[in-house]
Amino acid sequence: MKIEVIYPEICNLYGDLMNAEYLARSCGAELVNTGLKEKPRFLSEEIPLVFMGTTTERGQELARDAFAPWLDGLKQRTQAGGLTLLTGNALELFGEYVQEDGNRIPMLGLFPIHAERRMMARYNSLYLGKYGEMDIVGFKSQFSHSYGDNGEGLFTTTRGAGLNPDVKAEGLRWNNLMATYLVGPLTIVNPPFAKELLRLMGVEEPHLEFEEAAMDAYRTRVEEFSDPNRGFTYH
Amino acid sequence: MKLRFILALWAAKLSQPLLKITGHKGTNFPGELALKLCPEFLRYIAKPARIVAVTGTDGKTSVTNLICDMLEASGQRVLSNRAGANTNAGVATCLLSGATIFNRTKFDVAALEVDERSAARVYPYVKPQLIAVTNLFRDSIMRNGHPEFIASFLTANLPAGSKLVLNADDLISSSVAPDNPRVYFGLDRLPTDVTDCVNRLNDLRICPKCAGKLEYEYRRYHHIGRARCVDCGFRSPDYDYEGKDVDLANMTMTVADKSGSQTYRLLSDSIFNIYNLLTAVAVLREMGMDHQTIAGLAEKIDIVSSRFQAEKVGQVEVVMQMAKDRNALACSRAFDYVASRPGEKEILLMMNNLSDEVEWSENVCWLYDCDFEFLNNEQITHIVTTGPRGKDYNLRLRLAGVPEERISWARKEMDAADKLYLRPGSSVYILYGADNRSLDMAFRVREKVVKLAEEAGK
Repeated sequence: MKIEVIYPEICNLYGDLMNAEYLARSCGAELVNTGLKEKPRFLSEEIPLVFMGTTTERGQELARDAFAPWLDGLKQRTQAGGLTLLTGNALELFGEYVQEDGNRIPMLGLFPIHAERRMMARYNSLYLGKYGEMDIVGFKSQFSHSYGDNGEGLFTTTRGAGLNPDVKAEGLRWNNLMATYLVGPLTIVNPPFAKELLRLMGVEEPHLEFEEAAMDAYRTRVEEFSDPNRGFTYH
Repeated sequence: MKLRFILALWAAKLSQPLLKITGHKGTNFPGELALKLCPEFLRYIAKPARIVAVTGTDGKTSVTNLICDMLEASGQRVLSNRAGANTNAGVATCLLSGATIFNRTKFDVAALEVDERSAARVYPYVKPQLIAVTNLFRDSIMRNGHPEFIASFLTANLPAGSKLVLNADDLISSSVAPDNPRVYFGLDRLPTDVTDCVNRLNDLRICPKCAGKLEYEYRRYHHIGRARCVDCGFRSPDYDYEGKDVDLANMTMTVADKSGSQTYRLLSDSIFNIYNLLTAVAVLREMGMDHQTIAGLAEKIDIVSSRFQAEKVGQVEVVMQMAKDRNALACSRAFDYVASRPGEKEILLMMNNLSDEVEWSENVCWLYDCDFEFLNNEQITHIVTTGPRGKDYNLRLRLAGVPEERISWARKEMDAADKLYLRPGSSVYILYGADNRSLDMAFRVREKVVKLAEEAGK
């Protein structure tokens, strides 16, 4: 079993790479890295999970250019039910464009959304939401929000911003292509969601590495983030 | 505007003794007040004729303090924000304290630490002749985003006439403000250098010019080292000030430049502190001091005790080691350093940002950019995690391979001290964060550890 990390040389901010590593360590999968100048393995191999993490603004354009030839392959993979997880601003790569200071930077156009970027107005927030009945906790730290039709998204927001602060639906979902603005160790701070991803990868009885310690920290965080008296944004 | 400035100056001046009387020393309130009353306060406030600024992710406080201490030791009257903040309000407070009520400066030179994100609010009005940029790494993700953003922000906001003193071993910070005059410092190959990155945090994995593959002649840690792009030939700049022949046994280093070379006493055996000293030497050389004078001054100074402090208590060594909270780089460097120290060690991990806990809940993404793996070391026999993020540290340590039996946890920091074994001959490292609440807590915990060590030694 393999987990493919796309463009780790640029899509590596905020500890995002640990998501793939944690899942791989939890199920014994091999972690394979695909660089900017390489053809993704999922086009020709059985890859239960493809992962791409947060990048810089320059990185987004490099990733877009590198990935454009393989977009149809990703569509086919997704139509066939293949699992893909995108975190942070990797989500924006698959929208139509990023708008910044009057400039429109084209993206890959898989989803009917666009991002509006303001480099001098960074948005930092905690996040509390639901994936089905499951509590999701996480962190948002971003220069942009996205707008457009994201349907029901990936998560339903309880506290914090959805795809943008005006909507409850957070992230994007098409079959098992999942994208979220949440950054960092999403799978580690959400062990139930991590186990769900393992199930979708085909692991029959998923068990996480140090699951008890992860669950302990998760329960504490869910309680913290559910406390209405706790501040939710960083100033 | 001038009348507004005079009112701001006097009101802010008046606030200073009032704050002292009411026991509020060391706050930035005077600067904040001055800026509120006169937004261009920094433009009009009297400044010393010579100004040097220090910015960068890591080491700016230490470098500013070194420069300040050495200039003071040379007999100059030095104004510095060493006791205050490095934002525009901190700089305003500092300059205010250096000016008379008639707006005349009382100092020869200012050594200012300036936060990278404050560049746009400080440099339009304060134009240092020299600006040292220590390095740029991933810092607080909330404030700084990523180093590429900070580099472009500095490029947009550093004053055009300021000469830059840059780290040639850092391809990110050495590229800022390319039109400014500049000199570079760097540290020659060390026996501990590698070529591949062994750290989780590596902010430069591709060529910043062409996105090609970078090859390192030698790499110190993270992206620091001498590199070249195999595709376009872009490479690290040559050193104007070269640190070499680092001798940790004798605690010396040679610094060479076009005028000659000099042996310097090292203030610490940690590489990041060697860089800090090298940066300070380069700045003082650019200020016109000769090597011999600087080396003499370096003999008279030490590292600020709020950052590193070791004390033998009974049969235990108690060490305070700052590991800046929310900063994967600073903590990785601290962990690497602590792990490399000889002897059996216990660690009390309390880098929690306690101010964050008042405002919201600390963002823990940085834990997964940080090399907790350094703490998986047989000589580190026990790690106590504590504070609001203690459970997150516990999980992170487990993922780093630290055996469960070597980890203890206590929710409250003061209780964590009771978990320490304090074995004779061992060291206890208290790793703590930099925000004021955390500093206060760390030194209270230290007092308790010292007391426990004294009792254990009886």
